[in-house]
Amino acid sequence: MYQNKKSRVLGLLAGAAAILATSSMAQAETVRVVLGYYSAATQELFEGMAKDFMEKHPGDEVKIEVIQWDNLQQRLTTDIAGGTEPDIAMIGTRWLVDYVKNDIAEPLDGYMTPEFKGAFIESFLSPSTFDGTMYGLPVAASARAMYYNKDLLAKAGVTEPPTNWDGVVDTAKKIKALGTDAYGFALQGKEIETDAYWYYSLWTHGGDLIKDGKSGVASPEAIEALTLYKSMIDQGLTEPDPSGLNRQDIERLFKQGRIGMILTGPWLRGQIKTDAPTLNYGLSPIPEGTTKATYGVTDTLMVFKSSKNKELAMKFLTETAFSPKWRIEFSTKEGFLPVMKEEAAAPVFADDPQLKAFTDMLPYARFAPPVANWEQMVDAVIAAVQKVYIGQAQPEAALKEAAATIDGLIQQ
Amino acid sequence: MNRARTPANGKIGRASAPYLLILPSILFAFWIIGYPIYDMANMSVHAVNRFGKTAAFNDFANYQRLFSHQLFIGCLIRTLVWTVFVVGGTVLLSVPIALILNEKFFGRTLARIIIMLPWAVSLTMTGIVWRWSLNGQFGMVNATLREFGLQDTPIEWLATSTTAFPILIAIGILVSIPFTVTVILGGLSSLQADVFEAARIDGATAWQRFRYLTLPLIRPFLNIVLVLNFIYVFNSFPLIWVMTQGDPANSTDILVTWLYKLAFRYGELGIASALSIVMFVILLALTITYAALAMRNERSTA
Repeated sequence: MYQNKKSRVLGLLAGAAAILATSSMAQAETVRVVLGYYSAATQELFEGMAKDFMEKHPGDEVKIEVIQWDNLQQRLTTDIAGGTEPDIAMIGTRWLVDYVKNDIAEPLDGYMTPEFKGAFIESFLSPSTFDGTMYGLPVAASARAMYYNKDLLAKAGVTEPPTNWDGVVDTAKKIKALGTDAYGFALQGKEIETDAYWYYSLWTHGGDLIKDGKSGVASPEAIEALTLYKSMIDQGLTEPDPSGLNRQDIERLFKQGRIGMILTGPWLRGQIKTDAPTLNYGLSPIPEGTTKATYGVTDTLMVFKSSKNKELAMKFLTETAFSPKWRIEFSTKEGFLPVMKEEAAAPVFADDPQLKAFTDMLPYARFAPPVANWEQMVDAVIAAVQKVYIGQAQPEAALKEAAATIDGLIQQ
Repeated sequence: MNRARTPANGKIGRASAPYLLILPSILFAFWIIGYPIYDMANMSVHAVNRFGKTAAFNDFANYQRLFSHQLFIGCLIRTLVWTVFVVGGTVLLSVPIALILNEKFFGRTLARIIIMLPWAVSLTMTGIVWRWSLNGQFGMVNATLREFGLQDTPIEWLATSTTAFPILIAIGILVSIPFTVTVILGGLSSLQADVFEAARIDGATAWQRFRYLTLPLIRPFLNIVLVLNFIYVFNSFPLIWVMTQGDPANSTDILVTWLYKLAFRYGELGIASALSIVMFVILLALTITYAALAMRNERSTA
């Protein structure tokens, strides 16, 4: 009898313990983070941040998942449609407007101290700010510059890299006159960022993507910008049939020493270091037309409105992911520009003369306009420039068609 | 007493039992196949945001926008050209290949394996390999041509649709051959040898035997191959996506690659679901028409 009672008490105790255990488990929170793949280092970097954070906040968990950029938008879209979205996601900043419009992104101002916000380089915050409210933190930033092959230019008798488009055409002609298998100026003609390669010319000729609520891609400046590229193709100053080459293709040609000048981002430095360490190259600003410009691109970390652990998610970002230590580690390993002031002042960035070519251009950086339907506008522009590159349409006609499509999308 | 009653009960049971037994599977199949179609059709007549949240019924505005889209007709025509040429080319090539492989010769097993091997490679993989081979600056095709002195300046094969689209069709044929040959080979091996022997004794030439015996006898197999290939090729996404993504300027886009862009790049889920329904209807109509024609033919020859 006594025995029986004792076991019953024990049983009750065990039950109570079990209940306690589950309730304390419920208090421990999990933050799921979905990221885009930049390089093999991405996963490792964020796992490191997660480990740091979990040591500081025992019991809580940060789960990292890295996905190819090509699939990221589709993955998040299906997650959101199915209600299984993570707490934090990395997205292209230009997607953010759709997330804000559909009430999916959480406004972040309430979670940040003024000091934290003030630690960022001002110009990188504007692309993720809508109506004065911040919806994302810039995680990776890049600007574009011109890489030139010093040996090739010297062989052609050019000692200083050209600073304007006339100079680029002139130099390319001299490289062509060498009669080797090298091309003067690389022109990207297909796939991701084919439009951007033309924006360099558009912006430096004084054009705008969107002006007064209408598309600016058929402006006289835009037509001039495209006519310039087309004339370079026709004169054989670029590689033949640019519409067959994507960004990797022209970068590969540059690494092989077969391109005089190419416009691209800071990542190529890292690639040259490993793939073509003997290549003698220099960096200079994007050639000028009537004005200076470069393309600034940022990626963003955003928090989902639907997340149950928004407080903890923001803590992970403000305490760990955007701490100077991890920012420096991230930007140097991935080859991006610093987005925070303390980061920019660190010796690795401040004392790198090559990086100066990129950071010097930041004041002139243009960003993709924060409009809805951006991807569709990009494809309209790409179709237009491709038609011109392959000789299927004249610059003016092709750009007018694209502008009409874009105007229709703006009104939607 | 008991015994006597059982057979009577059993008779009713026996008649309906099969239906009752397969009823759950049928319902399940209907649900699996039918629900997505219903969901898609439902989405196609509503306003949908890019995250799949449906709003109000919108008077077929999605269909209207689809049919008036500047790219729709071009993609539709290209899809039909693509499908007819790939399926036609595949069947035209597969019949002689199957006939040869059906003969007894030294190394036949090896030849059969070689023909079947590409089947084991995923379409994406095949696409990547060809994309590399056709690369103007670094590709194997241009390197070979240059080696033989057939080329001075590199050709970018995928840079214009005049070269890219025929190449895509040729590769489409190449990857459809293994399946098609297998089915036709199965048909050929089911033919009775004595019929052909009789024909030969009666003095029929090889061509006559093929034209009046082999071809009519393997017709059911050809029908299967035509219908199945038509469906596969019409909806074939990976090859074109990997090799050109519809570039340049949408000139190699077919409906299914454009559909992917609409849905996942542009977030136009409304138009995309309308397009899916249109594609489904086209395929259904063509398949039913063909099946009806083939059946009538069979009945008239029988």
